[in-house]
Formats: sequence, structure tokens, C-alpha cells
Amino acid sequence: MRLAVRVNGEHYEAEVEPRTLLSDFIRHELELTGTKVGCEHGVCGACTVQLEGEPVRSCLMLAVQANGREIRTIEGLAADGQHPLQRAFHEHHALQCGFCTAGFLMSLEPFVRENPEPSEEQIREALAGNLCRCTGYRGIVEAVGQAARETGG
Amino acid sequence: MKPAPFDYVAARSLDEAVGLLGEDAKALAGGQSLVPLLNFRLARPDLIVDINGLSELDRLERDDGLLRIGALTRQSALERSDLVAAGWPLLSQAVRFVGHPQIRSRGTVGGSVAHADPAAELPVALAALDARFTARSPRGRRTLGAAELFIGPLTTALEPDELLIEIEVPRPPEGTGSAFVEHARTHGDFAVAGAAAVVGPEHAAVALLGAGPAPARAGAAESALVDGAEPGEAAMLAASPVEDGARRALIAELVRRAIEEAAP
Amino acid sequence: MLTGRSRFLDDLHPPGLAHLAFVRSPYAHARVVSVSVPQGAPGLLAVLTARDLEGRARPLPIQVPEGADAADEPHPLLAAGDVRYAGQAVAAVVAESRALAEDAAELVEVEYEELDPIADPAASDLELLRWQRSGGDVDGAFASADMVAGGRYALPRLVAAPMETRGALAYHDPARDLLTLWCSSQDTHRPLRNLSHVLDVPAERLRVIVPDVGGAFGSKGPLAPEAAVAAVAAMDLGRPVKWAEDRYENFVASYQGRGMEADVELALDGDGRMLAVRARIRADLGAYLLPATAIPPHTAGMLMAGCYTLQAAEVSVTGVRTNKVPTGPYRGAGRPEAAYFLECAVDDAARALSLDPVELRRRNLIAEFPHRSPLGFTYDSGDYGRCLDLALELVEPGRAAGEHLIGTGVAMYVERAGGSFEAARAALAADGRLVIHSSTSPHGQGHDTTLAQIAAERLHVDPAAIVLEFGDSALVPGGTGTFGSRSVTVGGSAVARAVDELREQCLRAAARLLDAPQNEISWGEDGLTAGDGRTLRLSDLAAAGALEAVARFESELVFGSGAYAAVVEIERATGRLTVRRLAAVDDAGTIVNPLLAEGQVLGGAVQGLGECLSEEATYDEQAQPTSASFADYSLPTAAEVPPIAAAFVESPSPLNPLGAKGIGEGGTIGTPAAVSNAVADALGGRHVDPPFTEDKLWRAIHE
Repeated sequence: MRLAVRVNGEHYEAEVEPRTLLSDFIRHELELTGTKVGCEHGVCGACTVQLEGEPVRSCLMLAVQANGREIRTIEGLAADGQHPLQRAFHEHHALQCGFCTAGFLMSLEPFVRENPEPSEEQIREALAGNLCRCTGYRGIVEAVGQAARETGG
Repeated sequence: MKPAPFDYVAARSLDEAVGLLGEDAKALAGGQSLVPLLNFRLARPDLIVDINGLSELDRLERDDGLLRIGALTRQSALERSDLVAAGWPLLSQAVRFVGHPQIRSRGTVGGSVAHADPAAELPVALAALDARFTARSPRGRRTLGAAELFIGPLTTALEPDELLIEIEVPRPPEGTGSAFVEHARTHGDFAVAGAAAVVGPEHAAVALLGAGPAPARAGAAESALVDGAEPGEAAMLAASPVEDGARRALIAELVRRAIEEAAP
Repeated sequence: MLTGRSRFLDDLHPPGLAHLAFVRSPYAHARVVSVSVPQGAPGLLAVLTARDLEGRARPLPIQVPEGADAADEPHPLLAAGDVRYAGQAVAAVVAESRALAEDAAELVEVEYEELDPIADPAASDLELLRWQRSGGDVDGAFASADMVAGGRYALPRLVAAPMETRGALAYHDPARDLLTLWCSSQDTHRPLRNLSHVLDVPAERLRVIVPDVGGAFGSKGPLAPEAAVAAVAAMDLGRPVKWAEDRYENFVASYQGRGMEADVELALDGDGRMLAVRARIRADLGAYLLPATAIPPHTAGMLMAGCYTLQAAEVSVTGVRTNKVPTGPYRGAGRPEAAYFLECAVDDAARALSLDPVELRRRNLIAEFPHRSPLGFTYDSGDYGRCLDLALELVEPGRAAGEHLIGTGVAMYVERAGGSFEAARAALAADGRLVIHSSTSPHGQGHDTTLAQIAAERLHVDPAAIVLEFGDSALVPGGTGTFGSRSVTVGGSAVARAVDELREQCLRAAARLLDAPQNEISWGEDGLTAGDGRTLRLSDLAAAGALEAVARFESELVFGSGAYAAVVEIERATGRLTVRRLAAVDDAGTIVNPLLAEGQVLGGAVQGLGECLSEEATYDEQAQPTSASFADYSLPTAAEVPPIAAAFVESPSPLNPLGAKGIGEGGTIGTPAAVSNAVADALGGRHVDPPFTEDKLWRAIHE
């Protein structure tokens, strides 16, 4: 099936099988491998991308469903690593192996934009849709607090 | 885990969609329940009928005293709706427990209902609100109540060629309050047990999650509450059919809390 | 990672790549009567069965711990006569895409004759492992004891569940007769050795490269059987072949952790002094012995004397066979089990003696080092009393409150770490760069930062000036592997030695160039300065000729320790558990990088918490896995994590130049034991095993 989609501002056209998942399309067809695949059943959040600004699980969408839509992946966040979230993650040791990081950043970017002073409880709840097995989450919580203060409001 | 091959059609009209559905042709709405099944190859339809283009099914509006929820309404839209928060607060309370924001931005109200996971929150909340569910098939339309619709785990009364199109929710009686509580292993995980309550001076609706094969109203508890029973008493009545002691205690506790928190 | 430029195994996409999927047994125990392979299917390139591997590939080797008897039951690469766990690989299918490989796998017809599976280890009398050890007069101690106390304690099987599943990509270059294996692995060494053994090919014709790795926690140590099959398929096809494990496979076929139960008895005198310990440990090893399956039960056995001065100990370990996927090392790998078994027994003993559990411990803590345990380990250094004091200070014991039962629990641990050898090459390249090659491979621990720090301090340069390379067997010196909390201890020490060697060479070269006596040359941030003030920068030195030093560091085992404390709350009406707070005090010797070390403790503690709250790999009576997805096996999210206070006590180890002991596993070792003791305290002394689900606790309260 024919698919036309905008990813990180660039227009792509491709021929895909209906069963191709959006996560695989992004990673293998478009070779944007920053988005990771952790479970393919929508729980771990590693595959999170933004569909017109809303975080979604790319492993739970068929690529063909993205036809005519606009997607942003981690590569479209800030190539220079200077988004407040990226900087904060770095400063607060919010990543160890880094596999879950892209999913967290894509989930959190709207949250920090919309919440200038989130409480720790609110932050932890916002994080609950992404799993990290390495860090124990503390560095991530601190990073989100800092980034929210910088960008929110 | 990659899905088995299937054909795909993005339906352009409700008639088209309904005409295509059947034993081997499944509707794709939010995909949050269906796509995992496809990925595990637990569902192997020949045809996927994508209904996301049927914008007439994506609406949330008040019609006199009724809330009309189009089946394609995203859970996140339900969550953000001031209309719903003001008039049907139980739904706002319940939807917040559905998975995580990333799930809710795609998942639909109709999808949650049609999938009928025994741990799902929206069917329980809708049952407590006496919602009625309208479906379309090649044979026409029909409307069912919650007790008729929800048969068992992952099983509804909908035929393979029937599509849920709308949910009507009557306004809760004046002077009632509501609450939704649940217990899950971890945050956003599938609920182990839960309760929805709508209570007021002459009205009591209590629906249970995890007490049986499908969302169920606790009739005895409801009557008792209207007769003036204490929340704890009513909760014991609601939980009494549950055989397992630990599960019964958990449900009783959740029902008690729901009734107390719902007090207007 | 932050900008999406990481390269994990499944990000690798060489031209001509083919994809591997497996036909896996639906039965936990069955005879394989026949396997018939489809003649053709879309995109199908090859199908491999056990028959195709005969004479070409051997099963993976079994590591037998010292003094142990292990059955000759290695894990076959592909099942031949029978299958012994649900999910075991029976055939391998290679196709143009993973989806097509899965389609073709469904066309492979396997005829099975079902056999009765054994799911319950108590019902199995098939032994895969036996080990015992004793020291001191155990019988005498028990005969003269005023009190014998203890109980039965069990830790269920767990899944390591790294966010990145396993994977391997193999490519055979016929021109050079070189097989290259990219492997999501903890190190290059074990896959290389294992592959060499399996294919009976010398190491020189193999190259193992470890890309970015998304966590491992012990589960990516030895070579996976599937990776070996990928290698054979790559040789057959002449194309690169990738196996990217999916999450379902990871749940059913990746080796699991824990799965041990112990009967523990402590003999004490009337003053609460521990005289001896007896432990019978039973491990549910699963269907086969994978390379490292026997290691955790042995480690658990060896640590059963714990932090205490008791003079006599007798431990037996039996590993039984069941029809489940084998077990293997999972963060802690035997240490959490030992801490759990012993520390729960200590609390039971305290209750039997009507003594405060903290006081009972204080009366028995080892205070002089080195200390030789009756089981044979020599603990190098420690300050157990200080760890205990600090843990209690940090946790603020809880007070009872109404409809909640409150409990406080402590647990001590001692663990073995380090050991064996690692190597490093430190070089001053002709272009002035400082390049270190380390035999250890980080997979998220930040060793690159820590090792660079170690080198930078010794060379008086900024850590950013150090180029650290690892993870490619063609480039790095041989080593033992990244596991058992040994990378900074042993790997870091090797780097330190190599850098010290390089320093010497630099000073000699500088002395020559400056025509000055070597002992008058000082090394500072500007470079090497002679007595008269003339300075050479490193780049000047390099221009005169590249320098290189190689060092190997070998050490005895070092012994880290710690004390953990937890406060829990149980809702009386429902049995729901909340861990209110956790204190984690670890003594890992000298801490090189406190931020990274704390990250390891917090990460480990949250894994330990997962064990307590919800994690358990479950099987039904037909030995079918019933928790084979994240929907059923719940990992803790950020919202489950209570306040955790972490602190370090530093008792340097005399056994390496850094004084380090390794911090990777403390969090998983101390947490379950401390939480368990807190739960037992809340329940008035009744012991319950994790996970502490609401129905278990409700029953403990109400039945």
C-alpha cells in the first residue's frame, strides 16, 4: 500500500505491507533508529513517538495509519542535544544504558511544556507510562523537574 | 512478534465498514487492544477495517439530558472534556485509570467497550451510569444495556459483523456524587479489582471490576444504600458473591471507599 | 542516546541482511517425533534443524563451580530427540524479513508426543547439580546450642527483563575466513570463548563486537544458543544473519534468575551468640545446564555464613531439573538468595530469643579483618557495624498507625566480587591522543566515565581527553567478562596499572628529550616539566614516538557488604503493601565515581523492590509460562518507587590499587531481605515470601 507521511518535517513516500508496524517503518524503512522497540505490546514505552504532538506507542500503530499524518521522533527533538530535557537528563544522570531514553523524552516533552511547577507525585505519575530497568527513576524525576521549570508555562 | 499478513481497508463510510466486518474481518479503532493481539498472532483476521476515518463516530456532545459518546471518541478527549467533568464526572474519574496518557491518546471509548477486557475501567463506569450501547450491522441498528452487552471476559453480545457506533449515557440524578477506585499491581497496570459508585439521597449505583467474568452491578448493595445502609455494610453485600477470601476483602474495601468518596 | 544516535544490535542493518526466527515448542515436555520443513515460502532462505547442526556445532559448555557435581545436560542449540521446556527452540528459519521468517516458521510441521512435565521442583527427583561444603564443628555446635531457630525461605524465579532484548548478528567473510558476531552482550570474551567451543573454531578466526547494549543484568553473559545458530546460518548463507529476540522470546527462552528455596537453621547460645548455621538449598534449575546455570546456587551456598562470627557452617546445594527454561545469573546471582535466606533466619532467631533483631546482629558482626569464613572465603575488609548504624539512622523506624500494620526490617549482606583478571592497553598515539583499550565492556554502568576518570587522574589530564575503547575482540586485550560487580575493581585496576606503566614510559621519554634526570621531572596539568622549568606537552612527546603499555590485573575475590533497612505498611483490610521508605548502605570499598555508584544502588534497589511488589515468573501445572508479557509480569514504574536514602561506607580493599570492591549488585542483594523482614515484623513475626501480593498478605493476616 502506498503511504505518504511527514516525519520530523520531511516528506516520505513508501510502499508498505498493511501489517508493517509504524515502529518498524520508522526504524527500518526510514532508518531513523533512535526510536527503540522494547515489547511490541504497548507497555514499555520505548517506542513512543509524537503524532501531531501527542505521544503515542508506535508499536501499536500500523504504518498505513500514519498516511497523511505528521510524526516527530527523537531525531526531531533537538539534534544538538540542547533541548532542556536532553540537557537535564545528562546533568542528572537520568540515563544509564540509554535504551528507554528516547521514549521518555518523547513522552515528557509535552508534559514539561505544559507544567511549569509539577510536584514529585505528578512527575512520577507522568513517568509511569515508560519503563526503565537501569536507573531506578530518581535521576529522571529530577531531570523532569528541572526541565519543567525551564520550559513550562 | 510480527502480525500474520492481512488486507487492509480504510473505511470511508459507516455503511462500507459495516458491510465488510465479519468473522475474519475486524474493526481497527485505537489499536491499543487489537494491535497487541495481532503482534502476538492471537488475532489473525484476513481483513482489517480501519474505522478511524469515520469522523461521524468521533463526537462527544450533550443531547438534552443525554451524553452521546461516539464510539471513536479518544479516551484522552473524554479525559479533557469539561462537559463530561461537569455532568458525568464518573467518566472523567474512571478514564484517568486507563493505561497511560500515551494509550489514551489513541485508545477509543468504543474500543474499550467492544474489547471488554475484564480489567477495563470504562465498561464498569458506563455500567454504573446505566449507559446504553448502539451498534450497526447489515441488519440495522440495535441498542443494548450493559448487562446485555457484557457477557464475559473479552466477550460482548456484538456479532462479528456488528460495529459499536455510539454510547448514550443518561445524566446521573440531581444531588449525586461519584467516585472510581481501583487497585493495580503497578501504576497504569491492568486493574486487579475496582469499583464505580454513584450515590445520592435516593440513588445508588455500584458497579464492580474484577468480581466476576464481566462488569456487574451490585444490586443488593444498591438497595441497601438507598435504604440507608452504611458504606461498609453495603460494601460487604456487594463483595459477598466473591468466593476467594482475599479478593472478597479487597473488593469490599474498594467498594466502601468508592461509596464514601462519592458522597456528595 | 539523547539525540537518537545510539547503535544497538537491532539498529545494525548491513546490506544483504537476512533475519532469523525460531520454531519453539508449545509443550513443556515432549518427544520430537518428526520435523518437516516447508519446500518453499515467501522470502524463505533456509531452515535449520538439529540434524543440520550435527557434526558442525556442539552444545554450549557447562561451567562447573569448584567442588560441584554437575550433570552432563548441556542446552542443545536446537532440540533433537526431545523438548524440555515450553519455548525451547526446535528449528531455525531464515528469511528476508522477520515477519516472513515468522510466517515460514508456522509452516514447519513438528510432530510431538507429549510427555508429563514437571513444574514443581519439589516433585522432581532429577538432579542437575550437587554441592556441599562444611567447616568447623557443626554437629557439636548444634548439640550444645541453647536455641535452634530458622525456617524455610524461598525466592521465586524472576525475569531480568532488560529493556533491550537479546540479539546477535553474524557475518562470515569467506575471503578472510573470519566470522564476526555482533552481540548484545555483557562482554566480548564469553561469547568469543563459547562460540569457539560450539563451532570448534580457533578464536583467531572469530571476532565479537559488542555495540551499545540496552541493559543486561546478568542475562547477556554467555553466548545464547540462538546466537550460535545465527552464526551457523550466516556461514551457510553467505549473508549477514540477524536474530533480534522479541519480548515474548525473552520471557520464555532467556534464562531466569533466582528460583531457590532453603531450609536454614541457626544454632545460638543463651546470650544470642551464633554458633553455627545449616542450610539446605534447593534450586529450580530448569531443563538444562546453560554455561552459568550452576554459578548462582554455588555462590549462594558459599555466602551462607554472612556477616557473622559463627565458627561452623554446613551447606548443601541441590539443583533439580524441571521442565522450564534454565536459570542463570540475574543481578546478584546467588548473593541476594544467601542474604535473604540468612537474614530472614536471623530475624526468626531473634524472635525465638525475644531479642531485638538489630541487637542480635550487633552481638555477632565480624569486626576483624581479614576474616576467614567457615565456608572458605576470606573477607578482605569491612565495617559492618557502621553500615548497620547508618542504615538505621537513615530509615527512621516506623510507628504503628490504625488500620495499617507497620513494620521495620533490616538485613545485612556480604558479597563476593572481583576475582580473576582483566587487562588494559594504554597508549599515547602519535597524534597526541590518549587511548585506553579495556577488556571490560560497559552496558549502561558508565564504566567509560569511571575508567576514563581513573586514567585521567593518573595522567593529570581532563577525563574528556581520554579516548576509551572496548567491546571489540579484535581491539581489546582478553579478559574475563563484565559481571559480578568486577569492572571497576578488576578492570579499573588493570587500567590503573597500564596507565602507571605508560606514565613511566612517558617520564623516561621526557627525560631523554629534555636531557634531564628522570627523577627531576614533574608531571602537572601543563605537561612534563624538568627541574629548570622546560616543559614538554604530551603532544610533543607523542611527536617523538608513540608509546604503549599493556597491563593485566588479577586479583583474589574482594568482599563488599552493606546494611539495608525498610519500613513497610500493610493495609489490614486488604493486605495491600506499601514500602514507605528504604535505606541502602553499601560498603564497596573506595568509590571512584559517587554519582555513578549511587545510580547503580538505586537501579538495583528498584529491581529488588520489583521482586518484592510484583515480579514472579509463573508457570501452571503443565509447566506453561503464565507471565510471558509485561501485561502479566509487572515491572515497577516511577510511581512505585518510595524515598530511598543511599549512603556509602568505604572500607578500602587491600587487594587492588584502587581499594575498590564493586557496587553493581548491592541494591538487589539488600532490598528483598530488608523488605521481607519488615513485612514479617508488620505481621507479628509471620514470614511470607515475595512477591508480597495483597492476597498473600491478607491470608497471612486473616487466616
